[in-house]
Amino acid sequence: MKSMLRSGMVILSVLAIIGFIVPSGALAVKEIKIGVIYPLTGGAAAAGRELRAGVELAAKIANSGMADLPMTMAQNKGIKNLGGAKIKLIFKDHEGNPTLGADLAKKLILDDKVDGILGCYFSSVTKTVSAVCEQYGIPMINGSSTSPALTKRGFKWFWRTTPHDKWFTKDLFELLVGLTKGKVQGVKAVPKKDIINLASACEKTEWGSHVSGLIKEFAKEYDFKLKKSLLYAAKSADLSSEVRSLKASRADVMLFASYTSDAILMVKTLKAQKAHPKIIWGQDAGFEKPEFRSTLGDSISGILTRTVFLPKVMDLKKLAGQVNKLYKEKTGNDLGGASARAFTGLQTWVAVLEKAGSTKPAKIQAAANALYIPGKELVVPWQGIKFSTSGDELGQNVLGSGLIGQYQKGKDGKIGLEIVYPFDVSSADMIFPFAGF
Amino acid sequence: MLNVSIMDILVGSLFAGLLIGMVLALVALGLTIIFGVMDIVNFAHGEFLMIGMYTGLLTAQGLGIDPLFTLPVAGVVGFLLGVICYFGFIKFLLRGPMVAQLLGTFGLMLFLRNLALLIFGSEDRALHHGILVGKSFEIGMGVIVSATKLTCAGLSVVAFLAVWLLMNRTKIGKALTATSLDAQGARYMGVPTQKMNALAWGIGGASVTIAGALIVNFWSVNPFIGLLFTMIAFAIVALGGFGSVPGAFFAGLVVGMITELPGFWDFFTYTFEADWMVDIPMTSFKYMWVYLAYFVIMVVRPRGLFGWKQ
Repeated sequence: MKSMLRSGMVILSVLAIIGFIVPSGALAVKEIKIGVIYPLTGGAAAAGRELRAGVELAAKIANSGMADLPMTMAQNKGIKNLGGAKIKLIFKDHEGNPTLGADLAKKLILDDKVDGILGCYFSSVTKTVSAVCEQYGIPMINGSSTSPALTKRGFKWFWRTTPHDKWFTKDLFELLVGLTKGKVQGVKAVPKKDIINLASACEKTEWGSHVSGLIKEFAKEYDFKLKKSLLYAAKSADLSSEVRSLKASRADVMLFASYTSDAILMVKTLKAQKAHPKIIWGQDAGFEKPEFRSTLGDSISGILTRTVFLPKVMDLKKLAGQVNKLYKEKTGNDLGGASARAFTGLQTWVAVLEKAGSTKPAKIQAAANALYIPGKELVVPWQGIKFSTSGDELGQNVLGSGLIGQYQKGKDGKIGLEIVYPFDVSSADMIFPFAGF
Repeated sequence: MLNVSIMDILVGSLFAGLLIGMVLALVALGLTIIFGVMDIVNFAHGEFLMIGMYTGLLTAQGLGIDPLFTLPVAGVVGFLLGVICYFGFIKFLLRGPMVAQLLGTFGLMLFLRNLALLIFGSEDRALHHGILVGKSFEIGMGVIVSATKLTCAGLSVVAFLAVWLLMNRTKIGKALTATSLDAQGARYMGVPTQKMNALAWGIGGASVTIAGALIVNFWSVNPFIGLLFTMIAFAIVALGGFGSVPGAFFAGLVVGMITELPGFWDFFTYTFEADWMVDIPMTSFKYMWVYLAYFVIMVVRPRGLFGWKQ
């Protein structure tokens, strides 16, 4: 009896000593901090809200689990290989400012001691933030910046899930070629001479200049004539001289890369100037935002935008419909290109951490480079996520793909986007030519 | 080889330059009045314009009336805003050095902008309905004129005439001019200079908020829109001459024409069928020419084209 009592006392003493020596947190479930840098105020605040909501929803699903969602992340409550550790998001607002973005990244790494970074939507900010991450050896996943140059820098701590502008711009030219070959649903083959003259107006930012360059490159490759290629000052008060210049070029196809306020002003000015090209195409961003639709109303019928996600995708993918339902409950809006990609960005982070089973940067790096998420687990219509580990596009997801949507008036009288490219997933006949404003 | 009809480019750019010039002159009018009377550079001028735009937009949407009928409301709001700013803030700044006045109005700019951000949020807002909204018509030769800009230009001429008449043909105008020339002397002669200063702020505020309520028919508004207009208004006032009303009008037209340089460039490109000219990115730098003109005039003639203040 005495020896039992003594053994009991020894065990209790050892436990007490352990209790004093080991910090309480070490035995509790660990938290994984992800720094999320987005434009939460300023001109792109509306997009920022969508991005934030997308990331928050993904984190909620990963942390609390939802058994009925057919994705690995929803089956575990937290990161299973890290003892059920929960994802903690630390949001920072870069206000569209690359310098501020870099400062915030340093703050997140040094003060908040984050395990990784997600962001930043604007390619210009992603560029500076990823440079900071590279310097400190902290992994960064980017879900929605589309400047091709970002994955051409040979960075070892940067991975991008979204397809980039080169792919999207190529899609546009494939659509134009498809038009000449009669491949587009509901449109008879159009003689190439009818759509051969192009004109582009892109905002004078890193992203816009890249798109402008890509349009030049592909116009040459696909044998189209680029009559005018102009860059305009972003957040302009007036775009009438630009629109007159586009009109003067007598282009059949007008191509734009603009964020929300410029996209709205551009279309208003095109309307006021009675511009009447056969095709108007926007490189996503402003052309896909809810404000674009709500401000311009029916006049945008026939305008094309490249995108990565459309509500129509939900008809094709059950998972997208399920996640959209949750997103709509949270925000009142449907998933869009920004929110769906932000969701996928965090989902990728969860998958990487699960594969790494550690928060050590080197383990995360190895896990990201060996990652494969099948397309059926994604809300976006891609074949999956697998990062390039060699060649000139280090860290780029090679299984992504884009869509081209066209604004059309539905049976309910509301303007919405229909898929016109890729041709095999078209959801409606394409309106061609653009009927005018 | 380029083969297009080119006269519409030239005439279109000329018209557009004149119209946008008159619109910009109207925006700059208030700035030149305040500077002319009080020697104060109002950095918050663009924010006054932004408030005018929100006033026009919200009054039209709230009362369900056409945006054009909101102009008097915007005028009253602007007048009161100017007077309140003067008595509540500027009057005290006048006691300090010039730097305090500059930084003070700069602070006012930041305050108004952030207040707007707090109240209205950062989204762009625009009018969807109205007599002028989205309307434009062809005046021949393929030249298309926006109804809003034409109305705005017409009102700009009226406003300039009214202010010119006020300054040159009325007792109040003479009192304002006396205050601007020599405030102390004017006080000795019985001119209530405090009231004159407040009046200058009131008229300056009203003219810019009316401009705001008018241009919201075409441009969307957000809390950050002010700065661009402040910059352009500064360039106009400096070009025209600080404190000169006719100078502001003339300089507005010059600046309008400068912003249309890309159009004239296109005209010459197509006239000479010069393919190399197509690749010159004129549009990218259209505001650079405005600020270059501002810079040159500051070096060559610091008091501006029509300025009388040394």
